[in-house]
Amino acid sequence: MGESAFEIAINCVKLVLVFLLMVQMVPVLVWLERRGSGFIQNRFGPNRVGPLGLMQLLADAVKFLTKEEFVPKAATKLLFYAAPVFALLPGTLAFSAIPMASPLKWGEHTFLIQGYEIGVGIVFILAISSLAAYTILMAGWGSGNKFSLMGALRASAQTISYELALGLSLVGVIMMYGTFNLTEMIHAQEGAMQFQAFGFTISSSLLPNWGIFYQPLAAVLFFAATFAESNRLPFDLAEGEAELVAGFHTEYGGFKMLLFFIGEYGHMMVASGLMATFFFGGYNIPWTTTEQVYQWALGIVGSPDWASALSSAVHFAMFFAKLAAFLWIFIWVRWTLPRFRYDQLMDLGWKTMLPWALANTIITAVVVFAVSQTW
Amino acid sequence: MTADIFLFWLLASVTLLSGVGVVLVSNPIYSALCLAMTMVGVSAIFATLGAYFIAGVQMIVYAGAVMVLFVMVLMLFDLKTEIATFSRGRISGAIKIAIVGLLAGLIAGTFAMTTTIAGKPETKEKAGHAAKSLGELLFTKYVFGFEALGVLLLIIAIGVVGLARSKGGTHAKH
Repeated sequence: MGESAFEIAINCVKLVLVFLLMVQMVPVLVWLERRGSGFIQNRFGPNRVGPLGLMQLLADAVKFLTKEEFVPKAATKLLFYAAPVFALLPGTLAFSAIPMASPLKWGEHTFLIQGYEIGVGIVFILAISSLAAYTILMAGWGSGNKFSLMGALRASAQTISYELALGLSLVGVIMMYGTFNLTEMIHAQEGAMQFQAFGFTISSSLLPNWGIFYQPLAAVLFFAATFAESNRLPFDLAEGEAELVAGFHTEYGGFKMLLFFIGEYGHMMVASGLMATFFFGGYNIPWTTTEQVYQWALGIVGSPDWASALSSAVHFAMFFAKLAAFLWIFIWVRWTLPRFRYDQLMDLGWKTMLPWALANTIITAVVVFAVSQTW
Repeated sequence: MTADIFLFWLLASVTLLSGVGVVLVSNPIYSALCLAMTMVGVSAIFATLGAYFIAGVQMIVYAGAVMVLFVMVLMLFDLKTEIATFSRGRISGAIKIAIVGLLAGLIAGTFAMTTTIAGKPETKEKAGHAAKSLGELLFTKYVFGFEALGVLLLIIAIGVVGLARSKGGTHAKH
């Protein structure tokens, strides 16, 4: 929680800020999703309300808030109401652990631009996001509807299956950086490509020092598994409309439905943020180090406090550019690929991705050990 | 009252309350959800002790995987008959009382035999190093137990697959 009252207050404010940031991103993403799908499918998308259809979201928010509030007769009331609230938790808690910019040093204080720093960042994020299955199960069973329950069982089986591939694909990354800490990982990806092998230092100014060049297979597996984790197409078996109406949220309407929506987008944001952090240098600007950006900022504004603030702001913008790029890929894939069949989905998870992730782990272990030896 | 003490009492009471809930609630689903809550509480207490890695693993393995499967299976049952068969019968009652006695004995024994309480670890800030030293211990001093457990789990997995297959498995043709 913090050592002094000031620290505790700052930490609480930061948590609220991260939560608001996440929730406020959702309308923008929904707009992007609709306009993007229109663009991809060669039609207009919402373009009547306000400039470029931007006010459509406001109208939708009013609609969601004023819709009739109902509970099905067969529902278990407690779980039915608890599920949408719980849907927000995993995404928010996991997103708070991702560093979004270089620390802001102001006088004697150092402010980390993230909700909280945890030494075992990856383990924490995996642990929190593994709780997402409960939300789906609570919603599905609590609705008292067979379609909901079947959708929930499908969705949670899928989440659990892909969690294995997700976790295993990260083991190689952890071994390569030698740490669980996300900030240390970002520091390891600073500047142009440079690494130690057999006692020599190999460097190249052509590529940035990003994780994806060391762990390409892990990056592909991780990104595919996060699609399944957030129940997005092509893995949205949970709401196969033809057979399940709408899956676990069939019985939900109005604002409760919106909370599930925000939860799903929260998962997407966590996945995109982790993609950027593990494989694309986090908040670092490609080919530069945090120190270089700080020196550049010092040359512009002079005082160290403001220089630190400026470099934090620049890094924050960089992180958001990367986050937005991955979020766009999520949307792009949704409107491009068709849905899998359920057996194809399970085969992909257990018979393809899991063995490849295991192979990646073993190969990384051997290579990391071999390369650490001097020639 | 410092923040740490406040956190401890909060987490301990949540954990204990949900633990009591597991036993007292008659609906198996709520029972399982309470157990999941207990797991989360225990993992949070681990985190306040500085054992972040154990906390994370506890959450991933127990709350995130094992209990989710329990809840999934429970949801497929017809709960009304399950509750009836579960809470009647003399033999099952005797077994329950025996198990309660065993557990009470275990807890009393633990209290009686505990002489000191281990203090907080010094290296609270260096959680990464705690994970490292845990790994070193697991792969050097306790490597036999660790590997034996792995083999045991493998045997269980094979046994389960064998049992499921002997009745035709999921693709059985009736």
